Formats: sequence, structure tokens, C-alpha cells
Amino acid sequence: MREIIRMVLVLTVICAASGFSLALVRGFTKAPIDYSRLKFVKEPAVKAVLAGYQNDPIKDRLVIPVGKDKKGKPMNLIVFPAKKGGKTFAVAFEASGAGYHGDIGVMVGLDPAQKKLTGISIVSHTETPGLGARIVEPKFTGAFKGKPTDKQLAVGDISALSGATMSTKGVVAAVNNARSLFDKYRDKMLQ
Amino acid sequence: MSLQKEFTKGLWEIVPPFRLVLGLCPTLAVTTSAENGMGMGMATTFVLVFSNLLVSLLRKFIPSNVRIAAYIVIIASFVVIVELMMQAYTFPLYRALGIFIPLIVVNCIILGRAEAFAGKRGPLESIADGLGVGIGYTISLTVLGAFREILGSGTLWGLKVFWSGFEPFTFMVRAPGAFVALGVMLALINFISLKLEERKRRAVS
Repeated sequence: MREIIRMVLVLTVICAASGFSLALVRGFTKAPIDYSRLKFVKEPAVKAVLAGYQNDPIKDRLVIPVGKDKKGKPMNLIVFPAKKGGKTFAVAFEASGAGYHGDIGVMVGLDPAQKKLTGISIVSHTETPGLGARIVEPKFTGAFKGKPTDKQLAVGDISALSGATMSTKGVVAAVNNARSLFDKYRDKMLQ
Repeated sequence: MSLQKEFTKGLWEIVPPFRLVLGLCPTLAVTTSAENGMGMGMATTFVLVFSNLLVSLLRKFIPSNVRIAAYIVIIASFVVIVELMMQAYTFPLYRALGIFIPLIVVNCIILGRAEAFAGKRGPLESIADGLGVGIGYTISLTVLGAFREILGSGTLWGLKVFWSGFEPFTFMVRAPGAFVALGVMLALINFISLKLEERKRRAVS
């Protein structure tokens, strides 16, 4: 009996000590992990849409609460500002639009002073390979660069991919979503 | 045995993948390049040294009936620490090694050393043993990785080693190539140690 109690006690103590130390390590690695996740997953897209910045957009990222999702969890929009001389001259963030087959996630870069798109980059999509999937090609995404942001972008403003009208519409919708997000949270993004 | 002996035996006498033939799953899976092999080896070494130390310190305190469970908890904690650290500071390596980091928990080498060595010896000897075996494992994985990388992708540490027209044997970086490379290395190591033994015998007689 005493032996059993000892076994239980020893194992409990070891597990508790392990849990405690893991919680500690988790605590101080949380910020660097978030940073490196964004750095290696999102930075290629940010680099593709913003140019000429002197800061680290990943480090200077802004987290803006944008309401709640269907389950009541708060949702955040992560905004990457591009700065020159300490002043934000463009921002990039992700928006999505419905394509032919599920949502298309698009990283959109906006220049508020010139009211123009600095570029877009497709972050995630599930479009048909060979047809809709061609939205990732620079030939298509490049057409968005320099388009005005002070009015809704129409599908006719850019040359749609032949055979992939729905995917094209999805990307345009994502860009328009980004526009309205920007209008809504403009002050917070440019602080 | 002296501390030095405990350390050096891990480098040749019982070098894990070739002598003990333990820990083969990560050995075969991650050695597609020298860098991956080295990263995996270093992560394993870290876990091995600290788990050996802790097991050795707690050896009188842990009842022998639940020792395996206690060892696993200790090992698993260090593996999670390594995983978090890798995610935080060496993210590309973490992505390359993927599922094999959590699987260090069930790597036979670590449990094997805890059970066969650290559970019976003092903390200093256990650290020496852990370091020796860990470094032996790291060197083995790096050499194996370099071998496969040179033949399989024509590069070493990401740098080209062959002329531009060289067509790499993609076979070597695939799973079957791992078995072939391991077999060749095992044969080589056995051959060398046989020769060494022969020489020793001749010197004696």
C-alpha cells in the first residue's frame, strides 16, 4: 500500500513540475513564435505587394479587432504597415472573396495618399488547377497594381482570365472587401 | 570508467545508428540533407543530455515500478521545450523536420540511455554519456545526410559541388535511397572496425 502511494505521489510531482516548466517556456516563446510564423508564412506575400519600405512590417504589425465570428470568438485583422522615415505610406493586409471553389485569400497593398493599389498577392485558394489556379500568376496579379482605390473595382477593369471568370470575380471581390475594410478602419491602420 | 571514456564510447564504440542500430526512424527519414541531419542530431542531443541528467538525479527518488512512465514524462517535457525553441528561433528548420521533432519522445536512443545508463549512474557520468552518444548521433546523421545530399541533389549545405551538367540521383533523397545509404555506411563501419581488431590482435600475438 505504501509503495502504491509513493508511486502515485512521485509521478504526480514529476508531471506537475513538467507542466509548470512547460507553461513557463510557452510563456516566453509565445511572442517569438508568433513573429517567426508571420515572418516565414506571410512575409513573402507582404514583400510582393509593398515596396520601398525601410521598416520591418512584420515587427510593426497592427492587430485590429474586427468584430466576432459565428461562434462569438473575436476576430482580428493583422495589418502590415510600410514605413519610410517613421511614417506609414502604405499598408498591406489580407482580405478574401468567394471564388469558383471556396474563398480566395488575397494580400492587398494600398497606398492611401495616392489612392492606389500597390499590388496584390494570392495567399490561399482552392481553384481548379490549370484554370482558376492561374490567378496566382504575376501576369494576372500584376494587372491590379496601380488601380485606383477610391471607387469599387469592376471585373471589367482588369483583363479576366479566359475560362476562369468566377475566379477572377473572386479576386476582384477580395480587393473590394479590402477597400471597404480600409475605409472602415483607416484611422487605426494609419496611426 | 572515467568520464572521458563515457564520453568517447558514444563516438565510436556504441555510435547509435551504426552500432546500437537504434533510432533508425529519424535516421532514415530526415537525412535528405546534411543540414537536416545535423539539426535533428542537435535536437536529439539536447534532449538526451538533459533527460540523462534529470533521470540520474532522480534515480533514487523514482520507484522502479513506474520508472518508464517517469522517464517518458521527463523526455517528453524536454522535447516540447526543443519544439517551442525551434519554432521561435529556427522556424525553417522546424518546418523541414516537421513531425520528427515530436517523435524524439519515442526515439529508442533516449529511453535506452535513460534505462541502461542514467538510471544507474551519477549525474556527471550521465551527462558525459548523453553528450557522447548525442554527438555521435549528430555526426552520423550529418555524414549520412551529406552523403545523400551530394548524390541526391548534387549539393552540400545548399552549395553546388558538381559541374553544371551533373544529373543528380534523385533516388538517393527518396526513402529507398536512405536504406541504401545506411547499408553502405554500416558495411563501411563494420569493415573498418574489423580491420582495427585484426591489427590489435596481430600486435598482441
